[in-house]
Amino acid sequence: MSKVALRVENLSVWFGKGPQRKQVVDRISFSINAGEATGLVGESGCGKTMTGMAILGLLSTTGANVRSDGIELNGKDISGLNAAQRRAFLGRDIAMIFQQPGTAFDPVFTLGQQISAVYRRHFDGNKKQVRRTMLESLESVGFNQAESITAAYPHQLSGGMRQLAMIAMATVCKPAVIIADEPTTALDGSTRALILQQLERLRHQNKTAILIISHDLSVVKQSCSDVMVMYCGRLLEKTDCESLFSHARHPYSAGLLSCIPQISPIRPPAINSIPGQVPAADKLPPGCHFAPRCARTESQCRQSVPEFDSAHQAGVACFRPL
Amino acid sequence: MNSFSQHAKPPLLEVRNLSLNFHNQKQVAVDQVSFAIKAGRTLGLVGASGAGKSSLARSIMGLTEPGTGEILFKGKNISLMDSQQLKTTRQGLQFVFQEPSASLSPRRTVEQTLLEPLKHFAIGDKDYRQQKILKTLQTVGLNQNVLQRYPHQFSSGQQQRIAIARALITNPELVIADEAVSSLDTSIQAQILQLIQNLQKQHGITFLFISHDLAVIRQIADDVAVMYRGQLLEQSPVDTFFGNPAHPYSKILLSFANYEVPSHTVGNNWSLDRGRLSTDSAHTCVFAALCPEKMPVCERLEPASHTIQNKNHPPLQQHCVKCHLYDEAKSNET
Repeated sequence: MSKVALRVENLSVWFGKGPQRKQVVDRISFSINAGEATGLVGESGCGKTMTGMAILGLLSTTGANVRSDGIELNGKDISGLNAAQRRAFLGRDIAMIFQQPGTAFDPVFTLGQQISAVYRRHFDGNKKQVRRTMLESLESVGFNQAESITAAYPHQLSGGMRQLAMIAMATVCKPAVIIADEPTTALDGSTRALILQQLERLRHQNKTAILIISHDLSVVKQSCSDVMVMYCGRLLEKTDCESLFSHARHPYSAGLLSCIPQISPIRPPAINSIPGQVPAADKLPPGCHFAPRCARTESQCRQSVPEFDSAHQAGVACFRPL
Repeated sequence: MNSFSQHAKPPLLEVRNLSLNFHNQKQVAVDQVSFAIKAGRTLGLVGASGAGKSSLARSIMGLTEPGTGEILFKGKNISLMDSQQLKTTRQGLQFVFQEPSASLSPRRTVEQTLLEPLKHFAIGDKDYRQQKILKTLQTVGLNQNVLQRYPHQFSSGQQQRIAIARALITNPELVIADEAVSSLDTSIQAQILQLIQNLQKQHGITFLFISHDLAVIRQIADDVAVMYRGQLLEQSPVDTFFGNPAHPYSKILLSFANYEVPSHTVGNNWSLDRGRLSTDSAHTCVFAALCPEKMPVCERLEPASHTIQNKNHPPLQQHCVKCHLYDEAKSNET
């Protein structure tokens, strides 16, 4: 078995206290091996991004409460570190590709300045070497004219190009783990396919472990070997992609799958949908959070919380799986 | 869905040679676009961002400065109408925008938002309006207790239902939906798509449905039009487009949608195209620079629109493609 690059143990995130408490991430555990990609899927507000931010320790200024039994990066626990200690490995060992490259870049510096700043933070080298590394990184994500990109400001690029530049910035130090938060959302088909291809390349060439956060199951199917389905802060199903798409066991996973419109030469059957809507974070139902929308609910589902058999194995958190 | 019996009737919407330039005529947003939508059918308009889809839709609605060309609604030219005729026409022509939170007034309750079009077009008396609002809310799957609430009190799916209700309340014949489901979550998107399919079937509403998501188009369109740099490159029935696309660009769009990156497309920048400048040469195919099947003639001459004959098609559903590959004489010549 290959090396575990990222291991998360019982991670929880919540805001407020008492009756106002909003549990946005609820005791989730998972691990990703080097060179593998895992997808974290769910609808907006289910806690996907919070999970990613909490792993990197980026929530300390937001008033969020984060607790975990350990977040291990290449076997080293990074959960208890302070900001200064964290800065030593952020960008070098673990990096994040943010959802909106338009706002994640600083508008007053050129892309070249911003990408080489990440490298210079962690490695020594003279101007020439830094520039060469930066150009290599831009070329590796598919820019033909990397020279002209280094002099450009973020607003001079289209959304897709900015996202590619973001990947170049995240990979300039060749980190062991990349968290990609909705890397293809809001991009059109051509750029989406290109970006997934780049992530695939990183996985093979650099043996990077990738967590892809997305609401789009077809993106995950395309780019990941394993998948976790999240709903209202909890993981409901963890399995390999093939099993999920051939035989989803949690009723929510099955419902999500039936919601995806399909491209096929013959007219597809009418689309399905899940009735009802996602409950607000401060009005979560007791028991299984999905119970009010689920066709298979029985009294047990409304009273107690279904758990996984084992925190790091494939499984389903459901009393009545399909 | 087929409309053989309506052969003699003019199409509900017909656009002839519509062109639209921006920035002091320098930028070509829409270039000589012609298409028609028959009553009861849904045309899916696809293309990458920046292709001119929204500009086309907005000019049909009269939301941008008028371009050149003709827009005919039920056979009548919109640009030749006086203001009274235009007002009557607009009642039958409604719009659903991409971002529901931005297209609803934050200071109006649902009731005020839905009452506004009825007042504007002077439809019905007080009782009728009240009934119509309740009925429309029911059609879009909302409860009547939402009437006094404001947009921010709803989820994005519910907001889009309100936006659709606002479009439906004047009993429109044609609804233009510009990326109406693109910003919604998967399960909510499915709910709104179901609602639109229901409106197509039960209420016979005609849609011009704009989306960059081919899977959504596959689900709800009857016909597909492909737009690239301001031009329509291919128009065909939906089964033909997904089963047997003709234009090289359509083929590439489809492979991208299936997450394939054809080797000849790597390195080309597909997302940078923001229309064309009017100074660009007019004597070339707009897709020539990136086309994998380019011939010498493509850089000399703008292709004409060719109709592809196919025995399997009903004769009313045309398959047009703007490409030299389908021009027998010229491709032989090279």
